[in-house]
Amino acid sequence: MTGDPRKSSSPSGGGQGGGRGYYNYPVVRRPVWTWEVPAYFWLGGVAAGAYFTASLAQTFGTGDDRGVAADGYYIAAGAIVPCAPLLIADLGRPDRFHHMLRIFKPLSPMNLGAWTLTGFTPLALARAASHAGDTGLLRGPLRTLARLVPRRLTELAGSLLGLTLAGYSGVLLGATNVPLWAKSKLLGGVFMASALSSGSAAVTLQAARRGAPEATLHRLATVESAASLGELAILTGYLVQSGKTARPLTTGRFAAPFWLGAVGAGSLLPLLLHRFARRRDGRVLRSLSTAAAVCTMAGSLALRWTIFEAGKASSEDQAASFELSRG
Amino acid sequence: MIDGYKRMMNIEEPPPAKRAKGFFTDTSLCIGCKACEVACKQWNQLPADGFAITGNSYDNTGHLGATTWRHVQFIEQAKANGSRQEQRWLMMSDVCKHCANAACLEACPTGALVRTEFGTVYVQQDICNGCGFCVPACPFGVIDRAPKDGQFEAGTAHKCTLCYDRLKDDMTPACAKSCPTASIQFGDVEELQQRARRRLGELKERGESKARLYGMPEGKEAQEVGPLHAFFLLLDEPQTYNLPEVPRLPRKTMAERYGWSAAVGIGFAMVAALVFRGGRR
Repeated sequence: MTGDPRKSSSPSGGGQGGGRGYYNYPVVRRPVWTWEVPAYFWLGGVAAGAYFTASLAQTFGTGDDRGVAADGYYIAAGAIVPCAPLLIADLGRPDRFHHMLRIFKPLSPMNLGAWTLTGFTPLALARAASHAGDTGLLRGPLRTLARLVPRRLTELAGSLLGLTLAGYSGVLLGATNVPLWAKSKLLGGVFMASALSSGSAAVTLQAARRGAPEATLHRLATVESAASLGELAILTGYLVQSGKTARPLTTGRFAAPFWLGAVGAGSLLPLLLHRFARRRDGRVLRSLSTAAAVCTMAGSLALRWTIFEAGKASSEDQAASFELSRG
Repeated sequence: MIDGYKRMMNIEEPPPAKRAKGFFTDTSLCIGCKACEVACKQWNQLPADGFAITGNSYDNTGHLGATTWRHVQFIEQAKANGSRQEQRWLMMSDVCKHCANAACLEACPTGALVRTEFGTVYVQQDICNGCGFCVPACPFGVIDRAPKDGQFEAGTAHKCTLCYDRLKDDMTPACAKSCPTASIQFGDVEELQQRARRRLGELKERGESKARLYGMPEGKEAQEVGPLHAFFLLLDEPQTYNLPEVPRLPRKTMAERYGWSAAVGIGFAMVAALVFRGGRR
């Protein structure tokens, strides 16, 4: 015991539970997870969002859209590779990581997530290999092998698993008794929106870098902005529902990275930048699009990190715990 | 085929279910001697937690944790009563509640957390991979992961086992055995519940108007986590003992949470499909 309950933990001391409990000691235990978890949530979200955006472009887009957005499969493959190592590193006993897969228990979001990651990783790699075969990046027997990947099936299965991967992380945090994570039921939606905005931003970024046609770039920016708007909307709902419980996030240590980083730089600024990047003659300022996409991705990381870390502070908020468990 | 698989994998049949065992902790009898804390540590070979002083009361343990499976609270209450200050000291030996619907057990992704034949919740140390999900899932703040760099069973989750090893040999758990005032009573849950109801009646007759049971099937606190196999007789409201009024079971809201998550994903898919389609015209 390192003595954490021995200092007064809830700085406010107010609230309806203030002074009612046992010496202001926390009611629930502080989560033991470290930085690997928000990093994994972010990377997994980018991978899933990029994969899903690319697959939607394959199904509904023009020839240009398809060619450009297919680079999203490279992003998905690149982002998903570090995910399993991060998740394993965070375990108390990393040598037993495979115990996650000794049973199938979708009731546990942690088990569902482990299976989803196990299923999504090879699909993302296979679809990226297939794309590499198309563009001539892979040659010889490897190319022949990559050609064997059933593309449409991989896109469909990967999109479903990718959406699950993007969506379960917020549900996992919500399926605890940490007040900041559990009070509102919208956290799963917040993380999903953040995954989709950052994933589509990664595709936009790559498209701007590779000199994609104006019209395609514009459509990708529109998709990304739609995700950012959705993110802002559901984040607002989350903060309103959380009420006083959200204080560890919205005030104090995490206020600046949350408001300026996650909300400002991550959602508002990209919306403005994409708006100004599109000039009257229909041309797109690539530098602004690039900046917007980078901001969206950075903001997404800030969102995961601040909500994750503020959750640890929230677990020590006795008044918030009593509020959560009020009959 | 399943039988063949079980034979091949050496899977044993689980032991047949027995009558549910549990604790009735009657805080009105607790004298705060901490014999339970010591007996628990001794029997389960749990290391000491150091010599930190809280400065708040005689409770220098603070909370339950990976190496503390019984914890005695000292609650000092001072109330103005006319010209006099009335003092009272409430003591309570806290422990894992072995919930009928246990949040930790439902959260566990490896199957390390199981329900035993005695109806208790138990962590299989050879299965747990220390994912840490059970820690914030527990509404009572009971289970914890031992530090990765520690000496004691590093990196896996720990909590009261209700002395599973002793139960196997028809013995009373160490804490109940050591309790000098019968504040901690061990037995069949159903019988203990009868005893608790009788005891509450007695105390009410004596004028303990605020006395109440916590963790009975009919109680508000059993709404989500079900009856507690380790339940309590309290002399004040649950919050005074840092107990949640209605402990939340995460499963109850999970479908709604997934629903919002899926709604965002589907909404995005529809918008993106429309935007990409627009380019084809």
